[in-house]
Amino acid sequence: MKDRNLDLQSGRRQFLKAAGLGSLALGAASSGLVVSRPAQALSTRARIVIVGAGAAGIAAANRFSRELNGAEIIIIDKRERHLYQPGLTLVATGLWKPGKVIDRNDRYMPSNVRWIHDMVSEFDPEANQVTTGSGERIDYDFLLVSTGLTVDFDAVEGMSPELIGQHGIGCVYDNPEHASRTWTMIDQFLTTGGVGLFTRGPGGIKCAGAPLKVTMLTEDLARRRGQRDAVSMVYNSPSEGLFSQPDMDQFLKQEFPSRDIAINWNHRLVGIEPELKRATFATPNGEQRIDYDFIHVVPPMRAPDPLGNSALAWQDGPFADDGNWMEVDRATLQHARFPNVFGAGDCVGTPIGKTAASVKAQVPVAVENMLAIIQGREPVSQYDGYTSCPLITGQGRGILVEFDYALNMVPSFPFINPYREHWVPWVMKDRMLLPAYNAMLRGRI
Amino acid sequence: MAFSLFGILAVILEAIRPFLWLIAAVVVIELLVLFRLLGRRGHAWRKALRPALLLGGVVMVVAVFIGPWLTSAGFADLVGLLDWLSLIGGSIAAGLVAALLFWPLLTLVGGRRA
Repeated sequence: MKDRNLDLQSGRRQFLKAAGLGSLALGAASSGLVVSRPAQALSTRARIVIVGAGAAGIAAANRFSRELNGAEIIIIDKRERHLYQPGLTLVATGLWKPGKVIDRNDRYMPSNVRWIHDMVSEFDPEANQVTTGSGERIDYDFLLVSTGLTVDFDAVEGMSPELIGQHGIGCVYDNPEHASRTWTMIDQFLTTGGVGLFTRGPGGIKCAGAPLKVTMLTEDLARRRGQRDAVSMVYNSPSEGLFSQPDMDQFLKQEFPSRDIAINWNHRLVGIEPELKRATFATPNGEQRIDYDFIHVVPPMRAPDPLGNSALAWQDGPFADDGNWMEVDRATLQHARFPNVFGAGDCVGTPIGKTAASVKAQVPVAVENMLAIIQGREPVSQYDGYTSCPLITGQGRGILVEFDYALNMVPSFPFINPYREHWVPWVMKDRMLLPAYNAMLRGRI
Repeated sequence: MAFSLFGILAVILEAIRPFLWLIAAVVVIELLVLFRLLGRRGHAWRKALRPALLLGGVVMVVAVFIGPWLTSAGFADLVGLLDWLSLIGGSIAAGLVAALLFWPLLTLVGGRRA
């Protein structure tokens, strides 16, 4: 009996010891995540201005607030809402409620950052100054531009954001209200049947996989509802490709026909007649009008006017022609003509990279390089063009596509085949990417 | 893009952040039970291990069956070894956590009955 008691007490001690050690380890790790600071924060009196409190702006603000001691950090943006834009495709296809993508900027704003609730109306990089909508002029020593972009609804004649949710018109982009009204239209389309047109704006657009995902999820929903024969689906590509990464382009060029999704090449949406439910496409053979019951409108996108019309924008070349994007070195993200200015996020003119995953890769580079020039060193950190798209092919399946400037696949998890549909990428999209995004906002990843 | 251990912990923290109150409540209960057991002698830790593992096994099996459904997917969406290993691995982890949480509680209950 004594032996048995000793044995039991030994087991108990081991359990308590393990529990205690586990708690200590978890506690140490958690406290590090909550209050960690670098061993040596850089002391400086520099004034750093961040324009835009989207994903890139807030992530950078958190990194600066930890890495700097004594600096004045200012972030300018009047938006109180923070939108998890990668979730909009799931809202637009009825898989998520809109509330899941809505958050508040103040939850992520560091306490030692001054937040000016206004929008920048003018950039004056020669004077190291920005002007807000209310006329306040703000000087800076270093500037990070992360304004995001403008969805150019006016570029499609007859289109306006107010039309989303009426006359069979949907558009996943910009906000959860648009996405939610798009779901109303898709739901109606799947009930009544008819012709569904899916479009994609030319040039650089944010989350370029979204138009493809909306198309495939709509097709998947039609099959699940037993309505596939009642709907005819046509994807209209403005070019002769579907995806910038060649392997994925090849996959989609087989996948769409196999799912009876027709493809119109070189069809750029230029006009819409809502009352007639008729869309006009610019094609190599002239304009073509097509009737529809549902249309997913994806307009072209460009830099916001205050940025696009400023000296910070590319003055000529493809990035100027495409959307007046901000001029940066594609590796260091430093402005070519104004070395104290950097850019990150959707607004920069780089070959690829208008995704939240790109922001995750860009922000540490931009911040590290800004810290380098604050110390009088050369910016050496480099962004390799990393971007990622969990290409959702249907409810419950997807492909985790990650690639760089060279369009080479660069999988984060080598055990996930980037060429094959799996359940795991779907789980990541549905459950893990929002936490990863929030960790990025806090500057933890 | 590589994720550091610190980065993975940061993502896990964000994933559980909405449930931190629930996790804190469970941890407090478990600690109270452990302290209660610390003051007693002769509790049947080993006796409670078997039913704890049994309960963990039940949780594991249930997790296998409802895992896809919890993610708005179905078994037809599990298309390869990676998916099945992930489902089974996740379910085993859920079962182990359940067993570890149940073990002290069952030890306490078993000790009272004895």
